[in-house]
This record gives sequence, structure tokens and C-alpha cells, in this order.
Amino acid sequence: MGRCGAAGGFEALTVWLEVEGEKRRVDLPNEVARGGVMECVIDGRSITVDGRFLQAGVLSLLVAGRQYRCVLDGGSVVIDGGRFGFEVEDPRSLQGRRGAGAGTAGPRPVKSPMPGRVVRVLVEVGQEVEEGQAVVVIEAMKMQNELKSPKAGRVARVVVGVGDAVGSGDVLVVVE
Amino acid sequence: MKKVLIANRGEIALRVIRACREMGVATVAVYSDVDRGALHVLHADEAYRLGPAPASESYLRGDLILEIARRAGADAVHPGYGFLSENAEFAEACVAAGVTFIGPPASAMRVLGSKTKARQAADAAGMPRVPGSVTGLADVAEAMRVAAGIGYPVMLKAAAGGGGKGMRAVSRAEDLAAAFTAASSEAERSFGSGEVYLEKLIERPRHIEIQLMADEHGGCVYLGERECSVQRRHQKVIEEAPSGVVGEELRRRMGEAAVRLALSAGYVNAGTVEFLVDAEENFYFLEMNTRLQVEHPVTEMVTGLDLVQMQLRVAMGEALPLTQNDVRLRGHAIECRIYAEDPDNHFFPSPGLITRLIQPSGPGIREDYAVYEGWNVPLDYDPMLSKLVAFAETREKAIDRMLRALDEYVIGGIKTNIGLFRRILMDADFRAARIDTGYLERLLADEASGVAERVPKDVVAVAAALFAASARRETVRVVDAAEESRWAVAGRREGLRL
Repeated sequence: MGRCGAAGGFEALTVWLEVEGEKRRVDLPNEVARGGVMECVIDGRSITVDGRFLQAGVLSLLVAGRQYRCVLDGGSVVIDGGRFGFEVEDPRSLQGRRGAGAGTAGPRPVKSPMPGRVVRVLVEVGQEVEEGQAVVVIEAMKMQNELKSPKAGRVARVVVGVGDAVGSGDVLVVVE
Repeated sequence: MKKVLIANRGEIALRVIRACREMGVATVAVYSDVDRGALHVLHADEAYRLGPAPASESYLRGDLILEIARRAGADAVHPGYGFLSENAEFAEACVAAGVTFIGPPASAMRVLGSKTKARQAADAAGMPRVPGSVTGLADVAEAMRVAAGIGYPVMLKAAAGGGGKGMRAVSRAEDLAAAFTAASSEAERSFGSGEVYLEKLIERPRHIEIQLMADEHGGCVYLGERECSVQRRHQKVIEEAPSGVVGEELRRRMGEAAVRLALSAGYVNAGTVEFLVDAEENFYFLEMNTRLQVEHPVTEMVTGLDLVQMQLRVAMGEALPLTQNDVRLRGHAIECRIYAEDPDNHFFPSPGLITRLIQPSGPGIREDYAVYEGWNVPLDYDPMLSKLVAFAETREKAIDRMLRALDEYVIGGIKTNIGLFRRILMDADFRAARIDTGYLERLLADEASGVAERVPKDVVAVAAALFAASARRETVRVVDAAEESRWAVAGRREGLRL
């Protein structure tokens, strides 16, 4: 998000977004935090909206008389029962796009997709594994879930042991 | 009965506490270390710590629970469902400690709770059941013999099982040995007994169950059926009452068979007899659950009865307040089990902090839950957050009411299956009641069956942009160009330090 002079000459905020996989540019007037009727420009098209923040993360949006209750939840917005993922892109950021250039070559981690406890470790360091072969079993909420190797290769590291508590995104095993 | 200890947690503990309060009975909650801030503790009159988070060190510690009951002066224990609810030793220990167990006597639990013994009792009571082994299988060789006798496909099941654990469908003889070993070891891990039996697999069956309530005086009534065919990995996802396909006659036949079985075992209190029903309306005894069921609210809605209060009164020795002729079904109720799980990522559990909770309400909506905004859903227990129930005059209206309620519902911070229900409830087959126990897996496999979005993309973009802009405003004041360059310089310096 940055500041720029919009086409009309007034000062505006520009938000670059990726909404459900589509890149969008939204220009907002500067006083958005107060809410109210405002002119927005989406990818060059102008649209008048009436936005009111009812509480932090809850927005009532009126567009041509139609009312939308919008609720922010982390990286998604929930509108009328539908859930839409979005990502704010900062053009000033020097970081490259996540995942770009990351191929299947080189070491690949097996990460825990959720918090839980390790109930079984099915591989040891040095062992050859197939792609899709189960390497660790994590239990959370009475369900046991097998986590599989993302590629064929050799187990370089086993980071966890039976009984360990793990968090979401923790590396469990590295396959190279 | 003056004071009841609730040996459970979550929504069912709260459900029981509410029934007790309405009857003027005091309540005692128990909790594990991660449940000190749980809603069932907040609603109870008294609360006592059990132990660390794992159920084996807390909610399964019958000895600690009875010690707390003694200390608190509780004269009865309600076990809820799960945990100790179907544990005959615990029921006996309660009686030995002079505390009323709000459930069936241990003797009836032993006969009907073990699947293999229940099948023998069902045979004795003349109930139709799926062909297969009556007792546990000794080994693979015996499994092969039985399977060859009844013909494939067959289903292996854990004798002490429930919730889909220790179950395997086998369509060919060459797969039986591996499936037998897997089912048996899973049963051993889950229930402490590797005993497995085998029965013929009924193609596209419906899961329909009969709710029973029996008193100590030989009174026993059936309170209609529940259809629980919408399942994933043998776990119920949506339940409804009445079933879309059970007519007056079938209901009577199933109900009377269930009552016969309960009476033959000296059953008392709430219980459920589960059946598979095939396309020709043949019904087969599946198992009996000797406790209150998760999905009891849909029966409460259509019968107008409070099953938990009835449980308490029956446990006090009272006779049932009604006969079979007094049981009337009215309207239609649907329940959605809202789970902390991620439907977009293999339904992995999603415990954690609930940062946002906007719950539905309005006509015909009931919600049994035990969550709140700021509650940290522990990873140690069942992922069920809430049971959302919609009640209306007809099935169609109940479905539309549920869709309305689901649209109102927002749970933030963790992943839930709320979005999945919208897809099911808008599906033509579900709306036409063309469902069986394989229905949901087929729907999930059909990627094209997603629900079309009603929200214009521009609205989503504007909403997201407004949230992004307002979030930035709260942390960073908008600055002029000169200041912005100082920010940029500071940012680069920060970057260099890394």
C-alpha cells in the first residue's frame, strides 16, 4: 500500500491486492478510517461505496443500496457466508514473491499443518523415501494424521521425536 | 437429587448444567488444566481440577471424579457422551460409592455396549441384523471363512468400537488379511481391545437410529428416529429428525424392535439403537449406544421433550411421564456439527484461539456450544465446537433456515467446516433426501459441485482494501512525503541490521 496522486488530482491511498488469485488495484480516498460515502477506483473503474466500521474487523458496506456485512479474519474476509482470501501487496517491499523459483530440487521440509503431538516417527536419518510415503504421524483432537514426504529422496534430518508437541508450520523431517 | 457432578467437558457438559439449573439441581464441573477457562466451568456452581490435559489423566480418571463427587457432596454423576459414559466399571464404581450414575445399569451396558454381545442380544430379541460373525474373530483364517460364507464386500469392525475407529471395508479376499491386521491394531490403540468382527457390507445404506427412554419400572418408549447418513470417515456431520424416508409404519416397526431389545437387557435411561436401512426399507441392527447421543437435540425439537431432564428424573426413580401413544412428532429439525477442521486441507484439525465469534440466532435456531471469542480450543479433545440446530414445519423450510443461520455465522482465528454445510444444504440430492452413508464422500470427490458465489468480486476487493487501509492507519499514521522517506530510510537501516 502506498500513497499516490490519483487521476482526479486528490490525494489517495492505493492498495494492491491479490483477491482469490486475481491481482486488483484499489484506490481509496484518504479519510477511509472514518468511513462514510466514498469514491473508490478499482482497476481504473470508479465505484461509490458507503463503508462503516461497526467494530474492529467488522464492516458494513453499502453498494448501490445493497448491504454487505464484511468480517475480517486474518487473511480472509467473510461476506454473506462466503469466505474470500486476500493478500495485501506492498510494492515497496524488496522481497520476492513467496514460492517463486522454489523448485523440487534441494532439501524439502515436511511441516506440521496443525498443532498436535507426534505419535510415530516412521523414518530415520539416511533412509530412502518415496514421494507420498508417510514419514510422521501427528495426533490432534483425537485424529491421527499421516504426513507424507513431498518428494523422493533421502531423509536428511529428523527434527522431532515421539511425544513432542509441535506447532503449525514446524519442520518435522527434512528430505533431500 | 440435589447436586450433580458432570463428568465431561464442552457443549454436552454445558447442556447438562443447563438442564440441572432449570430443575433447581446444583452442578459440579470438573476440568483439566487446559479447560480452566472453558465455558462449562463458567456456568457451573462449583468446579474442581482433575489433572493435566490428556484425557487419560483427567476426564477418564474415574477415581478422581468420584473423589471430587464425595468431597463436593454430589449425589449423582452425569457422564455425558464419550469419556466414561459407556464404561461399565465406572458405572459400578459410582454405585459402590453411593452416587447415582445417570445412565443405564452396568449390567445392561455390558450386554448392549459390546458390539458382539449386543448382536447376540439382538438375535435373541428377534431383530434383523446384517449377516456376519456374532463373536470376535480369532484370526485371519476365521475372518476368511466367515467372509467367504456371506460373500464380499464385507466390513471389519472393532467390537469395542465407535466413531469409525477400527473399521475397514474389504471388497476382495486378497485384501482381507492386511485390513484385518490394520483394523485390529487400530482398535487396540483406540479402545484397548483388538477384538474385531466382520459383517456383510450393505450397499448404499442409510444410517437411521431410534431414540429410546426407559424407566426402572419397565416403561420404555421410542421417541422417533434420526437420520444420520451424512457422514465423513464414519463420523456424523449432519443429523435430522424425522428421516426423509421413514414413514409411520417403518417407524413403528423399528421403534418396537428397539424397545424389545432394550427391555430384554433390563435397560434404563436414554439409549439409541442404530440401524442400517437399505433402499427396499429393510432395516438391520447395527449397534446400541448406551448413553445420550451428540445429536439428541433434533429429537428434542420434534418431540418437544427435554431428554436430559428426563434422564435425571428417570435416574431419581421416577416413572416415565408419557406412554408411547403420547409421543407426537412435529416439524423437522436439522443439526450441523461444527468442527474445528480445515475442509480445504484434508480436514486437518484446526485448534487454537477463536479471535472472532458472531453466532446466529432468530426463529427456530438453537445452538449447543461451548466456545467464546477469546477461547483457545485445545488440541487434546474432540474437534467439535458447536451443534447448530434449525427447526421448522417442514424439511425444506428447516434446510432454508439452516442456510440462513450459517450465513450469519462467523468463526474467526481457526478453520471450521461452516462453508462445507452450505455446499451440502444447497445440493440437489441432499434437498431431495437422496442420501446414504457414502453421500458426503461422493460430494467431496466431485470438485465441480462447489457453490457459486453471490458476492461481486468488486465488493470483495473494496472490503479487503478498506480493511488493509484501516489496519495500516491504526499502526502507522499517514505521513507526508518527507516523513515517508525517513520511514524508508529507517526501514532500510532495519534491513541492514538483519
